[in-house]
Amino acid sequence: MMVERAMAAEAALGTPEGPDHLVLSEVGMTFGTLDVIPSLSLSVRRGEMVAFLGPSGCGKTTTLRMIAGLLDPTRGRISVGGRDITHLPVHDRDMGMVFQSYALFPHMTVAQNVAFGLEMRRMAKVEIRARVERALAMVQLGHLAGRKPKALSGGQQQRVALARALVVEPSILLLDEPLSNLDAKLRDEMRVQIRSLQQQSGITAVFVTHDQVEALSMCDRIVVMRGGHVEQYGTPNEIYERPATPFVASFVGRTNRLSGRVDPSGRLLIEGRPVAAEGRLPEGAVEVLVRPHRMSLRAASEEPPAGLNSLPGVLTGATFVGDLIQATVRIGAGEITVEQLTRRRSGLPEPGSAVTVAWEAGDTMVYPEGRA
Amino acid sequence: MQIHKTSKPMGILVAVLFLYLLAPVILVFPISLSGDSVLRFPPTSWSLRWYEALFENRAMLGAFWTSLSLAAIVTVLSLVIAVPAAWVMVRMEFRGRDLLFNLFTAPLLLPTIVLGLAILIVFASFGLLATMQGLILAHLVITLPYALRILAVSLATQNMACEEAAKTLGAKPLTVFFRVTLPMLTPGIVAAAALCFLVSFDEVVITLFLTGPRISTLPVELYNYVYNTADPLVAAASVLLILLTLGVILVVERAMGLGRAFVK
Ligand SMILES: Nc1ncnc2c1ncn2[C@@H]1O[C@H](COP(=O)(O)OP(=O)(O)OP(=O)(O)O)[C@@H](O)[C@H]1O
Ligand SMILES: [Mg+2]
Repeated sequence: MMVERAMAAEAALGTPEGPDHLVLSEVGMTFGTLDVIPSLSLSVRRGEMVAFLGPSGCGKTTTLRMIAGLLDPTRGRISVGGRDITHLPVHDRDMGMVFQSYALFPHMTVAQNVAFGLEMRRMAKVEIRARVERALAMVQLGHLAGRKPKALSGGQQQRVALARALVVEPSILLLDEPLSNLDAKLRDEMRVQIRSLQQQSGITAVFVTHDQVEALSMCDRIVVMRGGHVEQYGTPNEIYERPATPFVASFVGRTNRLSGRVDPSGRLLIEGRPVAAEGRLPEGAVEVLVRPHRMSLRAASEEPPAGLNSLPGVLTGATFVGDLIQATVRIGAGEITVEQLTRRRSGLPEPGSAVTVAWEAGDTMVYPEGRA
Repeated sequence: MQIHKTSKPMGILVAVLFLYLLAPVILVFPISLSGDSVLRFPPTSWSLRWYEALFENRAMLGAFWTSLSLAAIVTVLSLVIAVPAAWVMVRMEFRGRDLLFNLFTAPLLLPTIVLGLAILIVFASFGLLATMQGLILAHLVITLPYALRILAVSLATQNMACEEAAKTLGAKPLTVFFRVTLPMLTPGIVAAAALCFLVSFDEVVITLFLTGPRISTLPVELYNYVYNTADPLVAAASVLLILLTLGVILVVERAMGLGRAFVK
């Protein structure tokens, strides 16, 4: 639910359609004998914010560090604005990076931290002071300019780190799980703030996260990564509505799994019953995925709704969570979850009773069996 | 840390232990103020005569200045060598790094008498016996492992992301080192400096092999003095040494708090 709301808000803003800015071609990274990134290619458009989303250890940080120049890729090419930067030293890359630990300089004040990058660019003192002031005002920290990082809260440190990275107007902003050390409320605030700063400045940004809500709500496009390769690259809506693989479907949002079979005439059967789906179907054994909240539930005695897919099952349990009822239903040998908005008058059938589960053809996602 | 209420017997035990450890140090203070001509406790009369005698003893004063300048030079050299060495061993990746580190810090485990003999044999052939250069080199052998170990631990626990952040902000390697790594290393440097200074100032065993009538350090001079004479002058000297040590520790404490400097 939260995921869909976040996406709707995002879709309204539209995505930048600029030319490719950051391009990775067949980049690979091997640590000793460990092939962490076999071969990875992707491009990020100018002004776009792209999320690297994936489970722990899938190589998000490694990829980000190769872009920053903190790691030397074993193979492949990285370019920015058409210029090959694969072997350019970090300090010449002109990239802003926000670290998970913030990495503020503990021996410098907030203002000195923010000024550091400008000093490296040999800017005049007056100019530096003016820019630092502006950058701190942008993150609402002007009043803390003289403090040491230790005397700041996590959220404030986070904003200093952001100001420090943005003040030099880097060509690309890299963020490695910048929100993971904040509490839930602050995380929501910072999400909005980071996104609006990024859009105001029109900077190209790469955002590493393993939180799907962050990726879906903040970013123009999402790279879903797994085991060092790109599983799917697309807009939040594409990733969510048309996941390329069952992995993507279950990693982004929740999903039910049913086994089925597509017969030679192209008909999809689950538990021997015909089920409608859109698009071309792979022949043979298939996995059928349907999101819990796209399914509805009614007593078996009721007439199944016309025009929808429906399967009979047995209600095995139901949890009332206020807005929602989460019901578990046994279908054949498997068990699925159905989420339904609560309505005042219609209660659920008794657990143990026969029910019908229904959903739209368009919500049926079909994948060949065994593709994981 | 949690502070528990200690039981009474426990408290007494701790007090006795402390007394046992500190008794010699505490006893030195009254003895140094003795008016007697022999070392005895308790003194039968009181005076400052042994402090006066100490400040009139030219050999003792000369040895004090030798020790002071020796410790200062050794401390500075130890840091100048150990800071870059520790950096290389913690921050660079190369084969045999652990072996090298263990090798450099190994003298800590060697009996000093063995070290002293070895140094004597080597230095004799280079004409370094009873010279300031010889003393400096010998003391470095002892202080460097300490400095290296303290600095390496400090560096290893330092947040590397800060250095990386500096790089991404456009700082070249040397700038990163001087503007980020070094300032963040300050507690480790102060601790290493204090330790090197005290170790050098206090060193007897190896120094004994290398000193002679031409040059001598305060601890060696005191040792020789006690060997021949047993009067309260050494007590007066000990009091001054204790105060100097306390002074150094106080400086460290002021700079960062002892716990942070030595424990971390
Ligand atoms: N310096 C290194 N030497 C050896 N292996 C490494 C090194 N750095 C990372 N790895 C390995 O590479 C893999 C990917 O690591 P990476 O840090 O990129 O994952 P990640 O996607 O950022 O995960 P997380 O979400 O936990 O941060 C992991 O299996 C990790 O153990
Ligand atoms: Mg990571």
